[in-house]
Amino acid sequence: MHDRSGWRRWLGIELVLTLLLCMELGIFSRTATNFWTAQNFFEVLRLSVEIGLLAVAMTPVILTGGIDLSVGSLLGLCAICFGKLWRDAGLPPLVAGIATIGLGVGLGSLNGVLVTRLRLPPLIVTLGSFSLFRGFAEAITKGVDNFTNFPASFLFLGQGYLFGVIPAQLPVFMLVALAVWLLVHRTVIGRGLRAMGYSPEGALYAGLPVSSRLMWVYGLAGGVSALSALVYVAHVGQAKADAGTGYELLAITAVVLGGTSIFGGKGSVHGTLLGLAVLVVMKNGLILSDQPGELVGIVTGVLLLTVLSGELLMKFLSRKSEVRRRERLLKTR
Amino acid sequence: MGLWLAAPDFFKARQLLSLATATSPVLVAAMGVSMVILCRQIDISIGSQFALCSVFVGLAAQRGGGPGELLALAMGVGGLMGAVNGALVAGVGLPSIVVTLATMVTWRESLRWWREGEFVRDLPETFQWFGAAQSSGQWMVIGAGVSVLGGMVWFTQFCSGGRFIYAVGSDPEAARLAGIRPRMVTFLVFVAAGAFTGLAASLNAVRFTDVDPKTGTGLEMQAIAAVVVGGVAVSGGRGRVLGVFAGVLLLACIGPGLVFLNLPPQWERAIQGGIILLAVASDGFSARTGHRNAISGGKHHA
Amino acid sequence: MNNALLELRSISKAFQGVVALREVSFDLRPGELHALLGENGAGKSTLIKIITGAHAPDSGEIWVDGQWVKGLDPRKAHRLGVAAIYQQPALFPDLSVAENFALALEPPSPFRRVRWALRREQASQLLRRVGARIDPDTFVSELSMPEQQLVEIAKALGAGARVLIMDEPTASLTREEVGTLLGLIRVLKAEGVGIIYISHRLPEIFEVADRITVLRDGASVGTFAAGDLDESELIRRMVGRALTSEYPPALSEPGEIRLEARGLGCARWGVPEVSFQVRSGEIVGLSGLVGAGRTELARVLFGITPADSGQILVEGREVRIQSPRDAVDAGICYLPEDRRRHGVVLEMSLASNISLAVHRKLFPRGWIRDGAERELACKLIGDLAVKCSNGEALAGDLSGGNQQKVAMARWLAAGPRVLLLDEPTQGVDVGAKGEIHRLIRSLTNQGMAVLMISSDLPELLGLSDRILVMRGGCLVSEFGRGEATSDGVMAAALGKGGVEL
Repeated sequence: MHDRSGWRRWLGIELVLTLLLCMELGIFSRTATNFWTAQNFFEVLRLSVEIGLLAVAMTPVILTGGIDLSVGSLLGLCAICFGKLWRDAGLPPLVAGIATIGLGVGLGSLNGVLVTRLRLPPLIVTLGSFSLFRGFAEAITKGVDNFTNFPASFLFLGQGYLFGVIPAQLPVFMLVALAVWLLVHRTVIGRGLRAMGYSPEGALYAGLPVSSRLMWVYGLAGGVSALSALVYVAHVGQAKADAGTGYELLAITAVVLGGTSIFGGKGSVHGTLLGLAVLVVMKNGLILSDQPGELVGIVTGVLLLTVLSGELLMKFLSRKSEVRRRERLLKTR
Repeated sequence: MGLWLAAPDFFKARQLLSLATATSPVLVAAMGVSMVILCRQIDISIGSQFALCSVFVGLAAQRGGGPGELLALAMGVGGLMGAVNGALVAGVGLPSIVVTLATMVTWRESLRWWREGEFVRDLPETFQWFGAAQSSGQWMVIGAGVSVLGGMVWFTQFCSGGRFIYAVGSDPEAARLAGIRPRMVTFLVFVAAGAFTGLAASLNAVRFTDVDPKTGTGLEMQAIAAVVVGGVAVSGGRGRVLGVFAGVLLLACIGPGLVFLNLPPQWERAIQGGIILLAVASDGFSARTGHRNAISGGKHHA
Repeated sequence: MNNALLELRSISKAFQGVVALREVSFDLRPGELHALLGENGAGKSTLIKIITGAHAPDSGEIWVDGQWVKGLDPRKAHRLGVAAIYQQPALFPDLSVAENFALALEPPSPFRRVRWALRREQASQLLRRVGARIDPDTFVSELSMPEQQLVEIAKALGAGARVLIMDEPTASLTREEVGTLLGLIRVLKAEGVGIIYISHRLPEIFEVADRITVLRDGASVGTFAAGDLDESELIRRMVGRALTSEYPPALSEPGEIRLEARGLGCARWGVPEVSFQVRSGEIVGLSGLVGAGRTELARVLFGITPADSGQILVEGREVRIQSPRDAVDAGICYLPEDRRRHGVVLEMSLASNISLAVHRKLFPRGWIRDGAERELACKLIGDLAVKCSNGEALAGDLSGGNQQKVAMARWLAAGPRVLLLDEPTQGVDVGAKGEIHRLIRSLTNQGMAVLMISSDLPELLGLSDRILVMRGGCLVSEFGRGEATSDGVMAAALGKGGVEL
């Protein structure tokens, strides 16, 4: 019997991405100025936190075979709502932040309700809420209002340093990433999500509570988007209705590049983190090498297609050899 | 209708004309996307294709290309980009959402790299409105949109090639058994969507005196929204082109409608999103009951 | 040498290592109705799919009109005049009836004009010919299954087929519709069309068939003239295998009532009203033809399609079952028929598959503990003698029999009160089959109650303590251990003695 345990199963795409990352590091340490410094290292991390949070929360959604296009818009809406709660309702930032995360969970669950109760395709549901959430953000601010002058204690979350070097949002991100990693890889919920992604009917026939798990996942994506909104506002120092435009696509790119199958089932949170790292290091390195920033997008797109095609090709070849093996077995019998 | 009662001014001829002119390119792009969705695929790269085609049209116009050449160029470039999507989806077998996500980023960034965000200016006089006066130019753009619509209605309803799209979207395996080549159909549908986007880009470009390289941002979402609101099922095979037309009109009317009802225009996106969700939710309800009926009739359904 | 319309010479076909057809030869003459018979899973459907070009044979030759046809695909078959009516209609659900006809009948050239009026006219003509009252503009998804069946028949007729394949065409038709169809078949035969006919309704076959070929386990048992056989002879050849005494005996008498259904029904899914009991330590066999409502009943019991009337009692207590989770909590577990789609998750490891249904029991705090999972998997893999390298192997890499054992292991881990088995040995090789039989018996010897759906008559007769027979969604007869014979059970399932619904 074919043995798939050990490194072969775990380090397929992860290995490729790690090599890619090493290659990037190698190239940029030669071409880019100030690339190989601790300061730049942490700056890269700081820049990747907002997208990273979205990508990490998107991973379980895609694992179930779904997708959430609304996270970027939700980030915008939550940023606005936070500003509104703080400035106009006069709540302290902490309370406003908690309320915002609650709002994110609620709106994320709205996606979940539509996907599970009405059995609508997630792509379309979240396309609708993509417009809806952004629209509300624009409507609330009437397109012009923006929120600034947040207290320094709040801005510390996005601009401050712990121990002088570690960006303050980094521990938040690591905590969330760890929590989602544990959820996906170490709990029965994550196992169930994977089963649903591979085979929705198989999961149902195993007695798993398919709909309630899906609600959870979309709610989580909403909550983490809200958290990402807080980090974003603290980082940029202002909340505008267009916050996070296009972030959903970057997050999806990181997830898919990290080896998570868009059809569900296969994938990992550490893969997503690696995919994210490849993307942000490339961006940072290209800019520090005085290359145009646009090259980032181009290389991203090409990379995404190449990695996926390569994976498909490998699967095709291994299936071919599998068939041949079976045929041999049949003949010898 | 309610809109009309509340704001009779809304239907003033002048406003209507410019609204129709602005909507015409969206309609053409939505036609392409509707074919893709009918075929059980999705294309989110048309916004980027649109921008790239617009710039090509502008540059060609600077070099003195006539309207016919410009149209052919735009459709050719669009078709080529569509072919890339089609080859990767139908040939390699990658999921269309990922493929078009990647090409979307790639085209958009290539354009930015190449043009560095620069507008295409100094277009010849003959470029805007195809060199005609504004009102007749507007009519030309509208006429092009309407004839594309008519062509699509004819193609999807009365031409067997159009019906192949429905067949493939409804059940690719059954289509194969009926002697249709599903992969070929899928490929061609992507090419056609690209060509339509190119056409839409040139129709849009002639409305202005210069070409903004950021044009078309979010067009893919607009077009998909119109298609979905128009009653095309994302599971493929179900829906009508005239429905998409209605969807485009409905979504296009929100903005001006808000203005005439004295509501803040910032509500446009929110209402758009609400309409999409309502449309799919009602579709979900009816699909569920319909499904139930089909099942109750056939007790031998395994 | 021959005037055959169609001839198959030593056709073999295997799916992922499971042999579906072994050296089958078959021929069809013009104007003849050649019936193809065999138990469920004997290879009839595969044979048809090879004739229509949907599957390519692994070896063997296909001759049409005395010409060797190589690389037959659906297009080519269509051109050669082969048309098929499948058991599961292959129609486009989102398109109208008229359009479904058109896609099959009009040549697939992309730029021809579609004439809706003409299409509609042709469609209603064809529908009239098969005696169906269906509006050609209706969407196929809105039609009932029998109506779809009629549409399929009309479609094949319209294609002007010279070789017409009918796979259970009458399975869901009313008596009147069957009459119309049989009349049609006579007309077609007179026109020189060759018909391959598959049906479980023996009286019907004797009424229209000229020759009969019997398939068993993927091989041809022989071809007979219809006049040379009678019904019981035919049943004997279909069932074939002598009953071996390999089936493990029950060691104890059945105990208390474990599962009881009182007037259980789910009208939407074709289970009008069913009442029965299963005792602890008892294997109750559930027999019936495909579509008799056996799987549907199991799905109601397991909560996939919750009951809308009646009661389910487990050990005398009424339980409400609205979802599979409720069923598992109530102690009812279901081994589904479609192993690859429902039974196991192919892409997951054996250990994950086995633990999937017992998450709450095995990991009460919600954390996956690899040690506990591995231990459980190792134990069950050992107990059930699953052939694999270790618990990390993927379920999809195993053979059918071993996959089935893994699916069983999942439910054994859950410790059910009642086990519903749906075709537990379908597509399983002989060795694994015996092991599964012994496993089922050892479970009941420990007091489990088992309801086993099976189309494999020897298995049903050999293993069951009691046999219930379903027909048209109802339980129609019951046989005790001594009383059951293959002919008797088959006759009850067929509703022998006439076309009956």
